[in-house]
Amino acid sequence: MRKIGITTTVPVEILLAANCKVIDLNNVFISGDSYSEDIERAERDGFPKSSCAWIKGIYGACLRCGISEIVGVQEGDCSNTGALLEVLKTRGIKVYHFSYPASHNVSDITIEMNKFMKAFNVSLEQTEAVRTSLSTIRKYAKAIDELTYIDNKATGFENHISQVTLSDFDGNPQKCGQLLEAKISEISKRQPRKQLLRLGYIGVPPMICDVFEYAERFNACFVYNEVQREFSFPRAAQAKDIYEQYYDYTYPYDLNFRLLEIKKQIRQRRLDGIIHYTQSFCHRAIQDIVIKQELDIPVFTIEGDKSNCLDSRTKLRLEAFLDMLVDLRGLKQ
Amino acid sequence: MKILGIDLGSREVKIVLMDKNSIIHKQKISTMTFYKNYCLYKNGKLEVDIKNLGFSEDVVAVSTGYGRNNTDISKFRQITEIKAHVYGAIYQTDLKEFILLDVGGQDVKVIKVEKGLITDLEMNDKCAASCGRYLENMSMVLEIPLEKLTEYFEAPVELNSTCSVFSESELIGKIAEGVSMERLCAGVNYSLYRKLRPLLFKFKGKRLVMSGGVAKSKSLAYYLTKDFDEVIMLKEPQFNGAIGCCSYGSLF
Ligand code: SF4
Repeated sequence: MRKIGITTTVPVEILLAANCKVIDLNNVFISGDSYSEDIERAERDGFPKSSCAWIKGIYGACLRCGISEIVGVQEGDCSNTGALLEVLKTRGIKVYHFSYPASHNVSDITIEMNKFMKAFNVSLEQTEAVRTSLSTIRKYAKAIDELTYIDNKATGFENHISQVTLSDFDGNPQKCGQLLEAKISEISKRQPRKQLLRLGYIGVPPMICDVFEYAERFNACFVYNEVQREFSFPRAAQAKDIYEQYYDYTYPYDLNFRLLEIKKQIRQRRLDGIIHYTQSFCHRAIQDIVIKQELDIPVFTIEGDKSNCLDSRTKLRLEAFLDMLVDLRGLKQ
Repeated sequence: MKILGIDLGSREVKIVLMDKNSIIHKQKISTMTFYKNYCLYKNGKLEVDIKNLGFSEDVVAVSTGYGRNNTDISKFRQITEIKAHVYGAIYQTDLKEFILLDVGGQDVKVIKVEKGLITDLEMNDKCAASCGRYLENMSMVLEIPLEKLTEYFEAPVELNSTCSVFSESELIGKIAEGVSMERLCAGVNYSLYRKLRPLLFKFKGKRLVMSGGVAKSKSLAYYLTKDFDEVIMLKEPQFNGAIGCCSYGSLF
């Protein structure tokens, strides 16, 4: 089967319709044991200190896995992807482009998606058929999300993992669906968690994955993972077609559109505070300014770089923040 | 009920009593005296003798500070120094957004407060060169009272050393060169400011609130006004931790 790497969430339905095995290089990079080697390889090959660890990791993972074709998102995701693709091209990798148009209207998105379908030689009908076939798995992801914020049974990290896997369905939708189904039955049997604070996680998926577990030691639990949830397309069932589904995806469009959904979720999930994860050298870190202004609940910003665990200073900061947030929450009760 | 806040400092213990959200009593006791005269050992644990301190047993008691973890004070609810100082600063200024600089005898804390919560912090480690103790040493060398020393800020003589011990000999060298007293004092103050700067560097912002003993330094405030739009000195900088304990206690 034709293997194809992706640098972020793209219309996976189209790639599956083209009978590709889709590999999200972010997931391959972050969950691999050789994660620091991926970064090192990129640095040895000349990636500057001042580029973000995700970009370097994707590069390293791409070469490590012997990917020969890759889809990169040129508009709407990362401003560095363009340059990354140029380097990968020189390594003999075939590159496809996809864009989430900044205009953010359905007609421009339709043009982009049609171009993409053409590049992979699939029809709209084939794409829609895949879209329908994936709906059960999307429902599973949603169920795990509900087990997190309604039943208080799934942990923040489990939620994170179950949502991000939907960017590439772990390379195998059928197996991915079975895994999620098993996870649902495992989680459903648990007793609800009792933590007082309800936290939301926003921003790019974390380089440091222990942030979930660490925060949960301080009477807090994560009941919302913004971007990870978007990766799973929780509103796909309401979209009348694939175009609308990708129109309604918040992450690659402007910040205001993202914030609308975040604000809705803050209310619906009754969040007490937000942890905003930013990545060193990432342009998205600048959005922190607006995010803090726009959200009316406390926002705590973490900046990750290359390490995959929290440093002691961040731990101390986080502990102090949560400590006071517990006070505040106690007062509200 | 009245609220008793105790900040167990390394050299002084600060005590504040609050009633209906106002401070009705405050006092300082040397740490040694406090442990000797107002603490009892019971079953291997240290207990504060509230009655002996002159307060009725019927108080909500909150403590913080250096000795916080060494004293198992059953009656006391214990909070971290960071939290105590933030609650104190919020109580004293009525503000929810600021950067708090707390310079004590031996440590420095910089805390960022947003929406009334701690979102970032930085502390000195290892060395006390940027703290009150440094100023005290220098005031002894110069034979000038601390309050007087901290008034001078103009034309500071250059003191380059980052270490307080070396600074002392550097200062003596400058005295020998015949530099004026005013410039020597300003030099001491400026070097303290310079040593604080790396800690403050991360916290560029609009509003700085100064607490701790060193907050009384006019010269330090003068230098800091260049880095912040607004510099606020707390009215009771040395009692801020104990006030914070009371303020915290009054919330619950
Ligand atoms: S974290 Fe930011 S800079 Fe890094 S890959 Fe993602 S969008 Fe690009």
